Amino acid sequence: MKFKSHKLKNGLTVIGEVNKNAKSSAVGFFVKTGSRDEDLKINGVSHFLEHMVFKGTERLSPFAVNEAFDKTGAQYNAFTSEEGTVFYAAVLPEYLAEITQLWIEMMRPALRTEDFNIEKQVIKEEIAMYKDQPSFDVMDRCRELYFAGHPCGHSVLGSEESIDAMTAEQMRGYFSQRYAPNNMVVAFAGNFEWERIRDMVEAGCGGWKNQEVKRTITDTRGARDKQRLDKANLTREHICLMSPAVSAQSDKRFAASLLSVIVGDDVGSRFFWELVDKAIVETASFDFAPMDGTGAYCTYVRCSGENTAKTMKIIASIFADLTKAGVTEDELIKARNKVLSAFVIKNEIPMGRLVDLGFNWTYLGQYRLVEDDVKAVKAVTVAEINAILKEYPPGEFAQFSLGPAKNG
Amino acid sequence: MKQNLDKHKLSNGMMLLGERMEAVESVAFSFMLPTGASVMPAGCCGAANVISDWIFRGAGERDNRQLGDALDGLGLQRSGGVDSAHISVGAALEASNLSSAIDLYGDIILRAKLDDEQFAPARQLAIEGVKGLDDDPRHKVMLKLRKQFYPEPLGRSTAGEIADLEALTPETTRKIIVEKFNPAGIIFSVAGKYDFDAVVRQMEKLFGSSAAGRTKSLKTGASGGRYKHIPNDGAQVHIGLMTPTVLLQDKNYYNARIAVAVLSGGMGARLFTEVREKRGLCYAVGAQYHAMKEAAGITCYAGTTPDKAQQTFDVIVAEFNRLAEGISEEELGRAKVGLKSSLIMQSESSSSRAGSIAGDYYMLGRVRALDEIKAEIDKTSVDSVLTFLRKNRFKDFTVVTIGPREIKVE
Repeated sequence: MKFKSHKLKNGLTVIGEVNKNAKSSAVGFFVKTGSRDEDLKINGVSHFLEHMVFKGTERLSPFAVNEAFDKTGAQYNAFTSEEGTVFYAAVLPEYLAEITQLWIEMMRPALRTEDFNIEKQVIKEEIAMYKDQPSFDVMDRCRELYFAGHPCGHSVLGSEESIDAMTAEQMRGYFSQRYAPNNMVVAFAGNFEWERIRDMVEAGCGGWKNQEVKRTITDTRGARDKQRLDKANLTREHICLMSPAVSAQSDKRFAASLLSVIVGDDVGSRFFWELVDKAIVETASFDFAPMDGTGAYCTYVRCSGENTAKTMKIIASIFADLTKAGVTEDELIKARNKVLSAFVIKNEIPMGRLVDLGFNWTYLGQYRLVEDDVKAVKAVTVAEINAILKEYPPGEFAQFSLGPAKNG
Repeated sequence: MKQNLDKHKLSNGMMLLGERMEAVESVAFSFMLPTGASVMPAGCCGAANVISDWIFRGAGERDNRQLGDALDGLGLQRSGGVDSAHISVGAALEASNLSSAIDLYGDIILRAKLDDEQFAPARQLAIEGVKGLDDDPRHKVMLKLRKQFYPEPLGRSTAGEIADLEALTPETTRKIIVEKFNPAGIIFSVAGKYDFDAVVRQMEKLFGSSAAGRTKSLKTGASGGRYKHIPNDGAQVHIGLMTPTVLLQDKNYYNARIAVAVLSGGMGARLFTEVREKRGLCYAVGAQYHAMKEAAGITCYAGTTPDKAQQTFDVIVAEFNRLAEGISEEELGRAKVGLKSSLIMQSESSSSRAGSIAGDYYMLGRVRALDEIKAEIDKTSVDSVLTFLRKNRFKDFTVVTIGPREIKVE
């Protein structure tokens, strides 16, 4: 593996990790903008804009963009979160230059009003689709409850109202503020020729103007409210809990990640043995969500109405025991083995590697070898995990539940 | 394309397959047990799902907890599930732990404890899973669609039916396991970094002495009706539709795959263009080839708000019909490169290769080399695809909807 990096005069950073043994290559534009950077009046604009990037440029129609990708057999898409917007493609090495050139062009989209109006319908369908996925809906609502006004609680999709009210002009304004070259990283992983790709980015993006880009970063320990919403068409109880955790920049993030496996991995975790194995709930998870300057743990469980009280009692006792007695050496060893094998397997594929490469640079401004992260995971001790449990007790959570009427 | 395939048959008929991959440090393995949803006895729909849980609740010398701890201790990324023909169990892991993992899976498959007290939670979890589907209409509509489309018992729900699950006992389930866990029908596959000689020796030791049984061939009955609507007061109408097509072993298989790719291979393909890009009717719309050994179809899903449901359905069906009218060289080119690229990219993943070689062997009785698949894709032409489409028109759609409003199906 060879790491390469280059910074353009306008602040755009290009990074790459070359692996000549790989059968594919991956490219990604990591733009540091998401729903937390939105004014609530235009909530959902980051995600809507991600869709609009695919609608082409002055030169390329939406159909021409799709065909240009498809004719290389690329596996490509984009995603938007509270924190970032990522555009990516995995391709056979012989097509990487062509696809990179395409992305470069697309990063300066036309944002035509007629395309904006059609895509608005698609965004509203996407909002409707997630309303029919209560496991997603409940997390979105819990996030807003937990963050209680902190920008990380902004919905990524926005609401039907905010999307209806949004204008193409407002989106163009947001674009010109946020898609500045100094607010993005272009990353490459897999089999490619660094000099050629670097020169291509230099030539294609060198003319973009940099500007001052701001993000409000404040830590929060969130609210501890509890809410429940009846939905007549649901049959199960969907419960989401959120509590504070360390940030994406914290040195303790590896310990937090191991803790999440010990508590809520889909097999072999405390939630698994106490809740799933005994068939008290259908599913239970506990995830660590590191963010820019803050972080959270997020629990999701799905169970019957009659098991809700019992489930919450068991979770409370698991959390209380963790804070009081901590995790065991044996739990740490198993979690470490699972985390390391998942990590190694993911990084064997250029597309998997690209994601870590891009986010490490976005959050930490640094290149980390796979081996660096492996070392960091191996170095975590029981004492470190138990210390973050005291500092961030998982029992101090906000709770949102969705379920049928007259339950819980 | 360089490819290293390994193959060995144990004396009892169990097939061992392997694909060595130079560039990885991981290994993935899978056991396909001939115990899927369609081979369960009548009145036991969902038993396969219960079995796939129960066999992990203690095996060999280990009780439930000890077995779980042993699997976790090896850092296994477990995989598996139930489909129409098989229960699959397996994992991806660091290569050095392969032999210990295979030992544990030998216990799970041959010496599961199957304790009575562990049966109740295994069955209850399966019941919870079926009930959970009511809150997941997008997933549920596709299960209902297969049940409606395929002749019984091929389309049976892999999740199960509540009444059957509630009636299931440990005795009945044990009997099914004894009858169906026939080594002659098990396919074992491994891909990534491994030593095949060592794998063969270990498998012979673990499985060689279990006698071969007989696998009965399936008798199929009727399929469901043309259209089924399930009312649900949700935000969208979830539309699933399916039409028959050729099997994987058919000489027109690659023509069918190209046709599906022209329809829905990427964002430039017809369904995405007509339904989403031009009309803004849906966020999610797509079609896929879906095959069993005995029958195959093209499935299509779209989710849309009630006012747009009818138009969405009509546009989709029109696109299926329009295929036989003609496709362009550009469309053919995009379909070919899309299929070939995804084949090569999948070949970087040990889990994906372990699954593919076992699937090939089950469906075809042999493993297709990647070069063979590429050559077959290259052989297709606008003419060959259109000739196929005109002789095998996409018609006789089976349709299932879940949502606040029904649609009209001609």
